[in-house]
Amino acid sequence: MPPILRVENVAKSFGGVQALRKVSLQLMPNEILGLIGPNGAGKTTFFNTVCGVFRPDEGRVFLEERDVTGWPAHRIARMGIGRTFQIVKPFRNISLERNVLVALGHDRISGWRPSMLGTGLKAHRDEVRRLLRLVGLEEFIDQTPTTLPLGHQKRMEISRALALRPKVLMLDEPFAGLSEEDIVPLAGVIKNLQREGLSILLIEHNIPHVMELCSRLAVLNFGENLCDGPPEIIRRDPRVITAYLGS
Amino acid sequence: MVQQFLNGIITGSLYALIAVGLTMVYGILRILHIAHAAVFVGGAYIGLVAYTFTGSLVLALIAAAAGCSVLGYLIQRYLYTPMLTEERIVPLIASVGLFILCEDLFRLLGGPYIRAFKVDLWFEKIAFLEAVVTAHQVLILITTAVCLLVVYAVISKTKLGLAWQATAQDMDTARAMGVNIRQVVTFNFIIASSIAAIAGVMTAINYNSVLPTMGSVISYKMFAIVVLGGMGSIPGTVVASLIIGMSETFMSAYFGFIMPRDAIAFTAMILILIVRPQGLFGRAR
Repeated sequence: MPPILRVENVAKSFGGVQALRKVSLQLMPNEILGLIGPNGAGKTTFFNTVCGVFRPDEGRVFLEERDVTGWPAHRIARMGIGRTFQIVKPFRNISLERNVLVALGHDRISGWRPSMLGTGLKAHRDEVRRLLRLVGLEEFIDQTPTTLPLGHQKRMEISRALALRPKVLMLDEPFAGLSEEDIVPLAGVIKNLQREGLSILLIEHNIPHVMELCSRLAVLNFGENLCDGPPEIIRRDPRVITAYLGS
Repeated sequence: MVQQFLNGIITGSLYALIAVGLTMVYGILRILHIAHAAVFVGGAYIGLVAYTFTGSLVLALIAAAAGCSVLGYLIQRYLYTPMLTEERIVPLIASVGLFILCEDLFRLLGGPYIRAFKVDLWFEKIAFLEAVVTAHQVLILITTAVCLLVVYAVISKTKLGLAWQATAQDMDTARAMGVNIRQVVTFNFIIASSIAAIAGVMTAINYNSVLPTMGSVISYKMFAIVVLGGMGSIPGTVVASLIIGMSETFMSAYFGFIMPRDAIAFTAMILILIVRPQGLFGRAR
């Protein structure tokens, strides 16, 4: 089975800082792949490069074998890569319903759409409810994100990313800043999404939960691939232990 | 009293028509689009030419809106877009420069003198309570109401408006959610410029004059209004426009102010900003 997301030898530098050095990675269909590494390893830069925020200096990104390297972020999103952010980025002044609606109903291919001037809002209301229900937020549909706790805002971001009908969901530290009682249900949501057929790439520092959720881990260190494999192997890999704890 | 109230509302309506476009542009791009005043003047000239040839005010308004949409698009695409990554001062200075250039261009093309823009409507004036309202003033009120309703409907009821709101709040996140920022910005400029053009035509027929420098005072007054309303806030801009219109009218009429009415606008702005630095509808940082 071909990978749903294939990244080949991607490099990215900012001035004199080489943030990514020929990083390669494959995400298989219906897989949760954990991307781990110490702070500054290049994980978020990798996310941003795959999502089109940064154009890679070298290397290619393929989504379902389609080369999307250097595409603008909105096109990559429409093609099926949804994402959340390390520091939550809700649209603060609009309701949860409208937050999700922003990402809903985009055409995968075309740019201009007559419906941009139509409302489209009523037509999608049921779908918005369904997406918020998936993450347990339906009852907060009319509230603005800033009235909700961080855990809810993180779930809203997942719901909003799902509105893109993504083939790949990229979650950037979804458990950061959450208490254990918020993490457990959120981990359940992520597991359910995988069961429903989604492929998920997960950056996370909460190693116990990563080990539990992911079938495979890829480790980055200093912008390079360190190793890749099942969690139980990665956990014992001396290179990983050294990267995290230092020599 | 009623007469002054109506005069204030009408002056405020004209200000709202002009300033709402400026605040729309600021809300999305965070650029102080001073050249918006040039679009306003361009609208007056295009409207005058179209009216001269067709004798139809509706066609004059359509021509002005269409012409200024193109002008607004060109400004956005070829002036501001390449500067978006620069410091904010860079597009601001470019905008001021473009405004001055346009003033001279209008002077070259239309002559340095005042041109009359006389439009005869169905009636001349009507009596309302103790006041008299001219047909032009009624037209300004109706046009302003329609334009503001259109803006409200687009923002609150359409996908485009939702994309505007998202882009105004966080452009990068909007992009990651599939919003085509270039389209959003283009629509934003087209609508803002169309409204400025309509404001230009309305101002011209209200004062029965078109001149190259008619945007000079407006350029800084609309800036004052946008700051007063809260940068980027459309409701704030409308309320601030009415406040400035009312202040000018009442202070000139009742307090025998020796200050010119344009100075009154800035006095009102300064007084309110002392109490509320973020403007009426702006968010405190």
